[in-house]
Amino acid sequence: MPVRRALNSFILISSVFLFILALFSVDDRHENQIAYAAALPQSSNPGEPTPQMSISDETCLGCHGQPGLTMTLENGDVLDLYVSGEDHAASIHGQKGYACVQCHTLVGNYPHPAWTAANRRDATLSLNPVCYRCHSGQFEKAQDSVHGAALASGNQNAAVCVDCHTAHTVKQLTDPKTGELLPSSHVLIPQMCAQCHNAIYQKYATSVHGVALIDENNQDVPTCISCHGVHNIADPTTANFRLNSPKICAECHTDKKLMGKYGISTDVLSTYVADFHGTTVSVFEKQSPDAEVNKAVCYDCHGIHDIQRVDDPVSGIQIKENLLVRCKVCHPDATTNFPSAWLSHYIPSAENNRLVYYVELFYKFFIPVVIGGMGFLVALDVGHSIFMKYQKRKKSLPPTPPSQTQVEEVQNG
Amino acid sequence: MSASIRNEEAPVRAVHIFRRFTLSQRWEHWILLLSGSILLLTGLPQKYRTASWSQYILSTPDRVKAIQTIHHIAAAFLILLVLYHLGKGTVLLARRKLPGDIFPNRKDLIDAWKMVKFLLFISKEKPVYGKYNFEQKVTYWFLFFGIGIMVVSGLILLFPIFVTRFLPGGVVPAALMSHSTEAVVAMIFVVIWHFYHVHLERLNLSIFTGKLNEDEMKKYHALEYKRLMAQTQKETETGGKS
Repeated sequence: MPVRRALNSFILISSVFLFILALFSVDDRHENQIAYAAALPQSSNPGEPTPQMSISDETCLGCHGQPGLTMTLENGDVLDLYVSGEDHAASIHGQKGYACVQCHTLVGNYPHPAWTAANRRDATLSLNPVCYRCHSGQFEKAQDSVHGAALASGNQNAAVCVDCHTAHTVKQLTDPKTGELLPSSHVLIPQMCAQCHNAIYQKYATSVHGVALIDENNQDVPTCISCHGVHNIADPTTANFRLNSPKICAECHTDKKLMGKYGISTDVLSTYVADFHGTTVSVFEKQSPDAEVNKAVCYDCHGIHDIQRVDDPVSGIQIKENLLVRCKVCHPDATTNFPSAWLSHYIPSAENNRLVYYVELFYKFFIPVVIGGMGFLVALDVGHSIFMKYQKRKKSLPPTPPSQTQVEEVQNG
Repeated sequence: MSASIRNEEAPVRAVHIFRRFTLSQRWEHWILLLSGSILLLTGLPQKYRTASWSQYILSTPDRVKAIQTIHHIAAAFLILLVLYHLGKGTVLLARRKLPGDIFPNRKDLIDAWKMVKFLLFISKEKPVYGKYNFEQKVTYWFLFFGIGIMVVSGLILLFPIFVTRFLPGGVVPAALMSHSTEAVVAMIFVVIWHFYHVHLERLNLSIFTGKLNEDEMKKYHALEYKRLMAQTQKETETGGKS
């Protein structure tokens, strides 16, 4: 017995020990993931340049300011090590006085410690985490984004900070006081995304929004990030994105001030929600946001990136034939009359959707007449019988208890 | 309508029981009651999709699909009932045997007017009725046309692509509007009018039992009672079969 007990307690203690060990090892692995960021020297206030810099930009540019400075990576890729001092000085980092070594923390003094990368992309990916030092919020958002997920799953082409912002010519994009995009930034955004998503950019560039942005630098139209988000760009192919998408469009299209400038109705969302597709979509959006729903959302009819004016003479969906093409995606047997089954965002009136309007009007009168008429007769009946009962009781109180014959007398009388 | 006569012993008093509804009519009422209730229960959550209780019930696409399937099955029963009812009416009409009691006539208007006057204590004369009083006729015809609207608009909503081959697209949202509104009208009608007359005013279970007793006949359908009694007397006198 004591042997078994000792064995039992040994197993217990050792399993607890193993469990704790496992916990620590999990913790270790997690730390390894951000080891790079942690290894960077942390200044007391990461927003401010650290004053005591041992190596000046001039020192770096002494070599790296010379065009033609390159190094060959493991796979034979040639990495350009030239940095234009003027470009850096013009960038937001240069303007604010940030020095080369504040990002390039691992290069140390000359001669640099040995450093190489498998290929050029690998070099970018290994240097990119330095952004985390100052821009941890944006960096973490990007890690949660569809790009971050793609990178984590091994897609090395997934966009990282420098792919959009560049490494040495980083521009100020937002107003530092308000956090709003600068007027000059809007037009740059689609160009950034176009580096990888060119086919989509081409569609966008011909859309009603894209044309206004590119041709007129219109500040009201959405750019890529208005719908997809900035750093935490979500996967737009999920059921969740689809169900939520009408809200994205509604953000601008229910803004009375904004739409008033262009004479566009702000009833588009409410009329969509009131109609069959929208009712279902809006309910599931609230109740089961990850449900696969095949009901049409805004972009199924209006297009995703190639959104055109509804009154476009060629492809506008105000023309029923054009709308029918969209209908047929889900209702393949639909014929010419079918698109009119959709109320086209109109509130039924004598001009638009007349049939619905008149049905509604009919019931507006019919219901009060029916309820009023019925209620009147029933109320009279109730009143009458209560009165008769009261009368009967008063009459029959002194002499005889009420009998069946008496009731009939009253009723027939 | 024949009257069966049952003689009881001891105090010599003949109690007449009157057959008011045939077995087939009672079955029709049961099917109407059940399919109507199911249609209403499965239809209202679909109508009030913006209400939280409805969203609680219809929270997932699967549930919507399920409730719609139940709705369509119940609707199929109701449509079969309508076809049977109309078919029977047509056959009886062709054989010149369709009883005319349910059809509205001038007397109903006069009766209604008399009833209002009676209820307002203007007149002491209560109208006397035949087999169906004006209130019962209103019930029948209101639901007759109501169900007609529900069936037609429901079929349009079920087959919008087929329907728009022949009709303008506007009939689909119009059908949606009338389907959901008429349903509520019918519900209010049944609750206020029908329930009041068969439960509160007096408990009238003749649609389930098929029978009315002599007192009820005398009191509520005096003309019909008189007619039936006269007919029975004639038949017993002449020895004809009832």
